[in-house]
Amino acid sequence: MVTFYRRLPKFDYVKPGSMDEVLKLLARGTNGNFKVYAGGTDVVPGLKRRELEKPETLVDLKGIPDLDYIDHDEKAGLRIGALATVRAVAGSSIVNKNFPLLSQAAGRIASNQVQNRGTIAGNICSAVPSADSAPALLCLDSNLVCINEKGERQIGIDGFFKGPNETVLNRDELLREIRIPPMPENSHGVYIKLSPRSRMDLAVVGVAALLGVEKGVIGHIRIGLGAVSPTPMRARDAEDHLCGKKANDAVISEAAQLASEESKPISDHRASAEYRKMMVEVLVKRAIHQALLGVSSK
Amino acid sequence: MKEYRLIGKRLPRIDARDKVKGRALYTDDISMPGMLYGLILRSPYAHAKIVKIDTSRALKLPGVKAVVTGEDTAKVKFGVISRSRKFIDEYPLAVDKVRFIGEEVAAVAATDPDAAMEALDLIEVEYQELPAVFDPEEAQKPGAPQIHEHAPGNISREHHMKKGDPDRAFKECDLVREDTFTTQSAIHAYMEPRAALASWDLTDKLMVYTSTQTPYYVQQHLGRTLGMNPDNIRIIKPFVGGGFGGKSDGLSAVEFSAALLSKHAGRPVKIVCSRDEEFTAARRKHPASITMKTGVKKDGTIVARQSRAILDGGAYCSLGPLTTVLMGTFQTLPFRFEHFQYDGYRIYTNKPPCGAMRGHGGPQVHFAQDAQLDMIAEELDLDPVEMALKNGLKTGDESAAGFKIVSSGFAECLRKVSEAADWQDKKRTEKNDPKKAYGIGLGCGGFPSGAGFYFNKTTSAHSSVIIKAGEGGGLSVLTGASDIGQGSDSVVCQIVAEVLGLPIEDIHITSADTEITPPDMGTYSSRVTVAAGNAALNAAKAAREALFKVVADKFEASPDDLLAEEQKIFVKGSPEIYTSFVDAVNLYQKKNQGSPLVVKGSYNSPDPLSPTYSFGAYICEVEVDLRTGELTVLRYTVGHDCGQPLNPMSVEGQIEGCISMGMGYAISEDLRFDGGQTLNPSFLGYAMPTANQMPKIEITHVVTDDPHGPFGAKETGEGSLDPVAPAIVNAVYNATGVRIKDLPITSGKILQGLKDKDR
Repeated sequence: MVTFYRRLPKFDYVKPGSMDEVLKLLARGTNGNFKVYAGGTDVVPGLKRRELEKPETLVDLKGIPDLDYIDHDEKAGLRIGALATVRAVAGSSIVNKNFPLLSQAAGRIASNQVQNRGTIAGNICSAVPSADSAPALLCLDSNLVCINEKGERQIGIDGFFKGPNETVLNRDELLREIRIPPMPENSHGVYIKLSPRSRMDLAVVGVAALLGVEKGVIGHIRIGLGAVSPTPMRARDAEDHLCGKKANDAVISEAAQLASEESKPISDHRASAEYRKMMVEVLVKRAIHQALLGVSSK
Repeated sequence: MKEYRLIGKRLPRIDARDKVKGRALYTDDISMPGMLYGLILRSPYAHAKIVKIDTSRALKLPGVKAVVTGEDTAKVKFGVISRSRKFIDEYPLAVDKVRFIGEEVAAVAATDPDAAMEALDLIEVEYQELPAVFDPEEAQKPGAPQIHEHAPGNISREHHMKKGDPDRAFKECDLVREDTFTTQSAIHAYMEPRAALASWDLTDKLMVYTSTQTPYYVQQHLGRTLGMNPDNIRIIKPFVGGGFGGKSDGLSAVEFSAALLSKHAGRPVKIVCSRDEEFTAARRKHPASITMKTGVKKDGTIVARQSRAILDGGAYCSLGPLTTVLMGTFQTLPFRFEHFQYDGYRIYTNKPPCGAMRGHGGPQVHFAQDAQLDMIAEELDLDPVEMALKNGLKTGDESAAGFKIVSSGFAECLRKVSEAADWQDKKRTEKNDPKKAYGIGLGCGGFPSGAGFYFNKTTSAHSSVIIKAGEGGGLSVLTGASDIGQGSDSVVCQIVAEVLGLPIEDIHITSADTEITPPDMGTYSSRVTVAAGNAALNAAKAAREALFKVVADKFEASPDDLLAEEQKIFVKGSPEIYTSFVDAVNLYQKKNQGSPLVVKGSYNSPDPLSPTYSFGAYICEVEVDLRTGELTVLRYTVGHDCGQPLNPMSVEGQIEGCISMGMGYAISEDLRFDGGQTLNPSFLGYAMPTANQMPKIEITHVVTDDPHGPFGAKETGEGSLDPVAPAIVNAVYNATGVRIKDLPITSGKILQGLKDKDR
């Protein structure tokens, strides 16, 4: 059945002034009662297009104090609050200095207007397969601090996505903070977004690679892929193939081919599945070469 | 060329400041006391019977003031080409049946947009789904669902043309190529969605503000469908944010529904379409399959052309019957050949109706023509520029479709761009980088400066202009020409000011208000500069003649010896003997019992096809990433003959806009369907090029003095689009050896082509 893009449906709107209040509300809710939102760049159009189920109450998180932060500690790493905008992360000199991979990926998300409203946490919670921040956060071994009335739990980002627009978050739970451990020694990461209209469109394929080199051998390697499976994914076969090996063209090509094989893209109006698979191979190769170059220029 | 005071000068538009500062009022900016907000309910089915519509629940909703369906209408069909009965095939609100997803079924008006939206969901429509057909080949097969009773085999229009004896001529050719080219579904994506605000007064007169290219046609078709005298309808075109052919259908359900709802509610009603309504249900360009056969001599002389086109028309005629003809005639520009045959078939399918879009059939056939000529040149080892020079239409020629060329700067366009782009050297550059390839390609075009007939039966001139002089030396200019952003208001003022020696600020224009301004065909077919420009020129000359007569009497001189310059009228050679323009106007009134100076001028095309034709040659340079297939357009070198450019800035704006639109057509714009459902009805899904994809553009104005155009001017708004896409296609081939015959050129197609080539 067709639905045309419309004005927002009718729902209640609340903007609680504290985290406790939000969690209390969520705890009381039954399925579909409450929908939380921060920037609203996914939620609002989704509601207008009737793609998201209409909630009874939309809960605006922007009233919660002290949730808009980017903190860095040499030992503990980076902490990004749920209300930190894409723009704040992309433009942060701390992030750029210590986690250039993340600033690069955040900088590739949509227009300035969307970047100014949308949050990195929201980019993850929407669980769109092509989310630009996801492959980078996968490579960075991020931990997601989730909270409900009963307490907090940490979920590795690897286990966070369940399917398109679906995460393991319970309905009474919020993503409060993204934690990123310090980068491994002597490592470098890059994100490549394939998109004919650059950041003004969703990625046809997104590839992040982060690798560390010890004594000429790849010691640490993470490859994150976007828009080529129901969820953002790690290319583990490719990682395993590279780990512990000396990087040369043959090994990198083999790894890229493995990444292509383990990807599970679909065809849509942006590209065919075949093209996406081909691009995974090309871009993984490019990303690894660029990451190696980054390490050697350190 | 003659030097003018204002003509040919780079002048800012008269409305530029208003637009830049947000002061220009578009339909959605206009409100009236008591105004209601209207919305349209659209069909969710591609083909279905309407069994029953129950509006009672919607009407009970607080705030809802009117709900209308096809049952509330006079059940009169409309069709913009109303000269022919069989092209009148569409109800403004569906009656009994719907034929595409998005077809207008009902409309509501309420005190606020939320109530109107809620009411849409309360209208209960019972449909009985019918088998639907989406592919023009399938639609022609026996047993296919029949979309209209009057069109067996779902043939909406067929058109056949023949000149000479192509079959015999092919036998005498040294090379004959036949290729099939296909094009996708593209849409105008004008910045301002369609919108209309309607209100009735207590004497049953209707006034409608609407975002249209053709106010005169809207007046006529609204009259017809509402069952009233069109003279009781006043159509006002406020500022319009683009049309590109998408607002030239003479009527849309938006205007009709606003008028009908307003009648029912007794209050003004405004309807503004949403962007996804536009992408889902508005008119669009015809996807086409073109089989083209061209025969040439060894030296590259084109001898014969035979072609067959299948147009996917969608559910209704719109302007498509004309598109079917134009895809035949337009392929006879800008080259000369003696033998020609064309067979065009427009097929109804259960998709949104296709109509006119900038170039109107030209972009489809020029893609086919220029790609095929590029292949022929390669096979014969000829340079495509040399081959174009050999075959290009010259002044005095007549094209195979009968286009009489009264001025052609085509050869000069080719020579200029070939030199400016360093064509010879770049064309031969070795390709040896395994990662990136660079290529260069040629696209050619020619386009009529306006059709020479109305779509309805009327005795009105194609364009008319009335000038009324004020006591303070200013002139009121009334024109039916519709400025939809292309700048016709400015050009009309410029012409009048030039003739009468006045500053442009003294010309006060009122345009496109059917109660006040004389009839005009409207803004389509690249006709406005030549037709309305000539009407303005004729009116201005009439004003000058009237003033010169009284001034000549005063100075005891001959009117032929007078000049109008710098707000003065003076005797040639004796500038000290003058009267000011204001005094001349007052002198005229004194001599005429106080009656104001009112003059008029009209214009009819001397040729029913078109008075004259523009020409262009475009060279495009691209870079292709051989690993990803990514295509970057680097540069366009443009040679364009629009006669005498009246305002070079406006001409350049049209060319730049055409390059953006043509790039989208070539590379990325593609409405995708699942059955009859549009899959990408948004600016995110429909990939128009963004500003950062725009290449460097270098434009050479090839100035010809056209005998018909005002001050020698010709069209530039549509012809400039035709060469854009084929130039990219040919550049991609030059870069990669991959020949694209189906648009758009996706990265996937380039990679597939590279793979196939290696095999």
